[in-house]
Amino acid sequence: MPNPPPVEPDPITSKSLSGPVLVSSLLLIVSLVWALYDEFYGLRPWKNYQSRFRALYSSYLQKLRGQQAEEEEKIRASEGYKKLEEQWRAAREAIAPRESEIRAEQNLTERQLAVLTDLLPTARGLVTSLIYKLETAEGASAKAKLQREVEEAKKGPFRARVPQKDDTLKDVNFTYDELISEYNRLRERKAALASQISELYARANRVQKQLDEYLSERLAGPRASDVERLQSSAKRFNVEIRQIHVLSTPTFGVPETVLVDRCQSCHIGMDANLVPPTVTLTKAALGVDGSTDAPFTTHPNPDLLKIHDPKRFGCSPCHGGNGRATTSVVKGHGRHKYWLWPLFYRENFDAGCQQCHARDLVLEHAPTLTAGKELFRLRGCMGCHRFQGFDDEDEQLRAVQQEILQQEKIRRENELEIARSNEKGDAAATNEEAQRWYRRAQRLQADNNRIDASLEQLERRSQGLLREWKKIGPNLKEVRLKLRKEWIPVWLENPHTWRPTTKMPRFRLDRDEIEALSAFLWQSGIRERIPQQPRGNPVRGKELFETRGCMGCHAVGETGGTFAANLSRLGEKANYDYIVRWIHNPRERTLPYCPYEKRDLTAEDYRKKGLPFVFGPENSRCPNDGHELQIQQMTVMPNLRLTWEEARDIASYLMTLRQENPDSYPAAPFMNDPKLKERGRFLVRHYGCAGCHEIAGYEEEGRIGTELTNEGSKPIERLDFALLTEKAKRGILPDGSQSPRGKWYDHKGFFENKLGNPATYDQGKVKEPLERLRMPTPNLRPDEIKGLTTMLLGSMDPTIPEQFRYRPSGPQKDIQDGWWIVAKYNCVGCHQLRATEPSVLMTLPRYQDPDWKEQLPPPLVGAGARLNPDWMQQFLENPALSESQLDRNGVRTYLRARMPTFNFSPDEIRKLVRFFQALSSQPLPYVPPKVEPLTERERILARQLFTHPAAPCLKCHMTGEPAHDRTATAPNFLTARERLKPAWTERWLLDPGRIQPGTGMPTGLFRREGDRWIFSGPTPAGFRDYRGDHSDLLVRYMFTFTPEEQRLLLGRMPASPGSGSGEPQGKK
Amino acid sequence: MDWHQLWEITSAPDNIPIVAMLFLIPFYVWYGLRQALANDRLLAQLEADPQMAKSHHRKIFPWKEGWEREVHTWPYLMRIELLAAIIVTFILMVWSITLNAPLEEPANPNLTMNPAKAPWYFLGLQEMLVYFDPWIAGVLMPTLIIVGLMAIPYLDANPLGNGYYTFRQRKFAILAFCFGFIVLWVSMIIIGTFIRGPGWMWFWPGQTWDHNRLVFEVNRDLHEVGLFSWIPGIHSVVGKILFGAIVVGAYYAAAGWLIHKLCTATEFNRKIFGRMSLIQYLTLQFFLTTMLALPVKMLARLLFRIKYVWVTPWFNT
Repeated sequence: MPNPPPVEPDPITSKSLSGPVLVSSLLLIVSLVWALYDEFYGLRPWKNYQSRFRALYSSYLQKLRGQQAEEEEKIRASEGYKKLEEQWRAAREAIAPRESEIRAEQNLTERQLAVLTDLLPTARGLVTSLIYKLETAEGASAKAKLQREVEEAKKGPFRARVPQKDDTLKDVNFTYDELISEYNRLRERKAALASQISELYARANRVQKQLDEYLSERLAGPRASDVERLQSSAKRFNVEIRQIHVLSTPTFGVPETVLVDRCQSCHIGMDANLVPPTVTLTKAALGVDGSTDAPFTTHPNPDLLKIHDPKRFGCSPCHGGNGRATTSVVKGHGRHKYWLWPLFYRENFDAGCQQCHARDLVLEHAPTLTAGKELFRLRGCMGCHRFQGFDDEDEQLRAVQQEILQQEKIRRENELEIARSNEKGDAAATNEEAQRWYRRAQRLQADNNRIDASLEQLERRSQGLLREWKKIGPNLKEVRLKLRKEWIPVWLENPHTWRPTTKMPRFRLDRDEIEALSAFLWQSGIRERIPQQPRGNPVRGKELFETRGCMGCHAVGETGGTFAANLSRLGEKANYDYIVRWIHNPRERTLPYCPYEKRDLTAEDYRKKGLPFVFGPENSRCPNDGHELQIQQMTVMPNLRLTWEEARDIASYLMTLRQENPDSYPAAPFMNDPKLKERGRFLVRHYGCAGCHEIAGYEEEGRIGTELTNEGSKPIERLDFALLTEKAKRGILPDGSQSPRGKWYDHKGFFENKLGNPATYDQGKVKEPLERLRMPTPNLRPDEIKGLTTMLLGSMDPTIPEQFRYRPSGPQKDIQDGWWIVAKYNCVGCHQLRATEPSVLMTLPRYQDPDWKEQLPPPLVGAGARLNPDWMQQFLENPALSESQLDRNGVRTYLRARMPTFNFSPDEIRKLVRFFQALSSQPLPYVPPKVEPLTERERILARQLFTHPAAPCLKCHMTGEPAHDRTATAPNFLTARERLKPAWTERWLLDPGRIQPGTGMPTGLFRREGDRWIFSGPTPAGFRDYRGDHSDLLVRYMFTFTPEEQRLLLGRMPASPGSGSGEPQGKK
Repeated sequence: MDWHQLWEITSAPDNIPIVAMLFLIPFYVWYGLRQALANDRLLAQLEADPQMAKSHHRKIFPWKEGWEREVHTWPYLMRIELLAAIIVTFILMVWSITLNAPLEEPANPNLTMNPAKAPWYFLGLQEMLVYFDPWIAGVLMPTLIIVGLMAIPYLDANPLGNGYYTFRQRKFAILAFCFGFIVLWVSMIIIGTFIRGPGWMWFWPGQTWDHNRLVFEVNRDLHEVGLFSWIPGIHSVVGKILFGAIVVGAYYAAAGWLIHKLCTATEFNRKIFGRMSLIQYLTLQFFLTTMLALPVKMLARLLFRIKYVWVTPWFNT
């Protein structure tokens, strides 16, 4: 019976799964292939970069090789090269016969030596083993027997087949001693022959080197043969991870890995093994112009790499980014939220420098950073924000005062201890014990003597610090003396509209706040009287203002320096009498301030103690408590040592500078309202006015802002983006537009927006007026924001390995310290300090005129090599170089511009002198070289040279004769001995133009003859048999120059048009 | 609706398993239930036709003429398992290639992340911390969960439903599981992932996770609420302890009564109940009432802002 057919097939057994299994298996294989691809290429994008680089680099090298070969051909065809080549060929030919002779002998010697070298160990082994037996044998008879055996063995014979000159082999029997001496002889001979060969080649090699140099000096870039070598290495290079691997200095012999940077795996043009420093790769040269995905160029600043060798420093410590990551560009650059040190953006690259060079104000290779730091200082950011290194005199002062207290305490304790020890010594039972106690007393006494010395230094330092401590803004205690009352509220409203270039930022003040602040400042100002001044002559004042050097710092209109205030509208706000006093001596204070009592002292205080109301550097102690007083204005403006008349002229000129009639300012009766004073006092503290200004009651007020020393490494979460957080994360700017950079939730974004508009992060917040962000609007240009942002970004805990941090000492440190003072007092307003950067005066229209160029203050490039540091110190202390005649320059009295008195503290002077000496690599202390005195005959010769018509030195140099000096353009020789260094003076005489381009001093006064310099003009008769160096003679003469000598010479000089007086003749 | 925020949460590689869970758990619940209900239908069919039941061995489909009486594990089961293994391997491969585990910045003890979230499988425990004392949510409850899971075989008096999907025969067990796992555990993980933002605040999906957000929320203990606070002596330590003990005791009594009702609701349930010893039953009661306490407390907290019920110097619940 047949089974009935099933109704439906069994769903389990009848279904085939091969379809799904096949499909999923294929998918699995695909995923496997994908995984492999990902492993080998997807996660290793640098492989692709390296292959692309290989192709681009090879074709570039091909092109380069052609170019270089062509260039080389041209040079080889030149006359000079051919001549050298000829010499080289001749030299080679000359040595050929002798060379073959030596080579033949060399060959023979070497073959002979080879035979003996084979034989020697056997012979030596035999003999020395017998000698060992002899040494260790016991008993005289045994020793004698062995002695005989040794003798026997030494006789040999040791047989060798020694090659001969005629290529035959000769059997020779050596004794042991013969063998040794023959061996030594051959070795000596071999060495002698080798040195003969090199002597023979010496000349040819020298010429060959000249040839090479000739070529390489005239050829820009690498030689064609080098390029060829590069080509072959470029073809063969392995596609592999290229990394910089830096180990620390080993501790206990085990170095640690401190840095692994694989940046060169993609940025392969930076690999010095592949691209030598002579080859420069740019995108244009590689033909990838405009591509944003071709990281193949060489480092754009090779000079920088010379001081920061990438093999030691790596890349990421300076640039940021994750040097170990190789899987993607984003990860390598660390531009994601989990990498805390992302690559700096191109415009902020200098930030990397700040990590190690936070203490450097001026960095040659980091212009953006340097500008940022300058600005930070100039705008007085540190008035509110502490930043290590910026303006920390007040902190130092506190530390020094603390130190003084401590030392005094120790000294007091020591004194008590000394008395006790002496007592115990007197009472001691034994002599020895007494001695012990006395010795102890002596030791303590010695300690106290040391403490006394150190206390004296500390006192001086605290005095100096009081002098160094400056405020960025003017002293507001003197508003009543200085300012027009109605002007103050106008200014507070918005300083930028009144004076667009001002350093004062704009505070976001309500009307009542402005009124309260003005009222407080006005009512808390001191009410002393200052002397009334008669009017001066504004026309002469203008002339003086423009020529005395005021414009190195100040501008009027568009012309002048930006270091200090633009005075265009001074006449609207200022009180004439005060300005006269200020110009006459800006450091003059109306009332001295006692930091101990924390108030200004008045004449009353002095009268109570029966003292005259006189304070100054000599009377700097408080009459009440003996503490050091602040006796000068805390301004950096120096004293120009002008006469009262000049000061009145300048002030009269400045008072004419107005745009509006000051009477048009609205009246401000509220400023006398005593009710507003308290609120004003509170607001002064709230807005931190005392950070920049001296204000009654707030002299020692702390900074109100956040410290910025490590702002760059603050966690991003601690930067308060407030309601803009989400916008920043999504790339929407505060004004609602899209950020060109995309997301800006990072430090850069925070700083840029904050600096652009400090109120940004209050956007949308509902706050009480006093809870609003306080940072005022600094009114910065985009490039200024860039500089400051760069500085802040770099202000972080450095990621660079400990061992490579920049911690200078000695001259480097002196340079570092010096720039701060140079910037603090704006030396570059008048003097050129770096060969590439002109001073402010040099850029003014007036000084473009050739006649006025001679009126420029001397450039200080290389001043350390020129000036005697001891003299420099005296000069900086008192640039008039005179106690009585202050109304003049100390050296160049002919200059209209005046070197002012800065009242430097001793520490500042020390730093400045060290700075200049270090810049010119001069050691300190300076030991002047001995200048050989002149013989009588030399003196006569030197005089002739000195007054020679071809080089009339005294025509331009000052002579001390007033009429002449007015037209002179160079200093008096009498100052040379103390002022200059002889070695520099000689270099100067030989080629002044090289030391100071554009100088009036003639170049080419001397010419080289043999190994000495002689005068280029027609030499006077006396010189015919003088063998010495003429320039040296002149220098020695200058360094022994005396006033008598000068008078003598003046008599001989042909009368110059400027010196019409008959006096010199009289002296004859 | 902040789609950007939503996308940021759902696209984080960490959260992929949870997004997947949103779809996979409903799917497998549905899939399992479908099978269970099919089996239930089959059971009904077999119970109605004793003749068929006798000859029937394969569990899913009613046996038909011409079919094999038994099906071998190899190849019929193994090939399905192989297929599953291949597909899972494929998914894991693609997943591991395309999504990397996020390696975050170096830990900074001075600056912890906000929100700081546990790994996704522990988010339920972390969420419990909102409602209970740390030592209850972090120590006691996890211990009870593990012990409770271990105890299940010893508490299970129902002999049916072994080796096949069924709903009808294990309604109580399946519903208890669905409640404990899906309603409590999974939903708390989802809350922890999608709802809890900075400050562990409650953000509805699509609300921006604003770090600066401020909410006003005052939580009170139960004895401070309304009429309770007027009870004399309730604000003393003893008063609080007694009041809390009474309320918690009352809860356990009520919940126990409710569960007892469920255990004896149907004829079948009563049969199973009859098979249980007293210890088995009391243990079951303890675990189920304690489990039920969690959602009760959650609702009390989320809806009525009740912080603690039982306040003692040693623990709070």
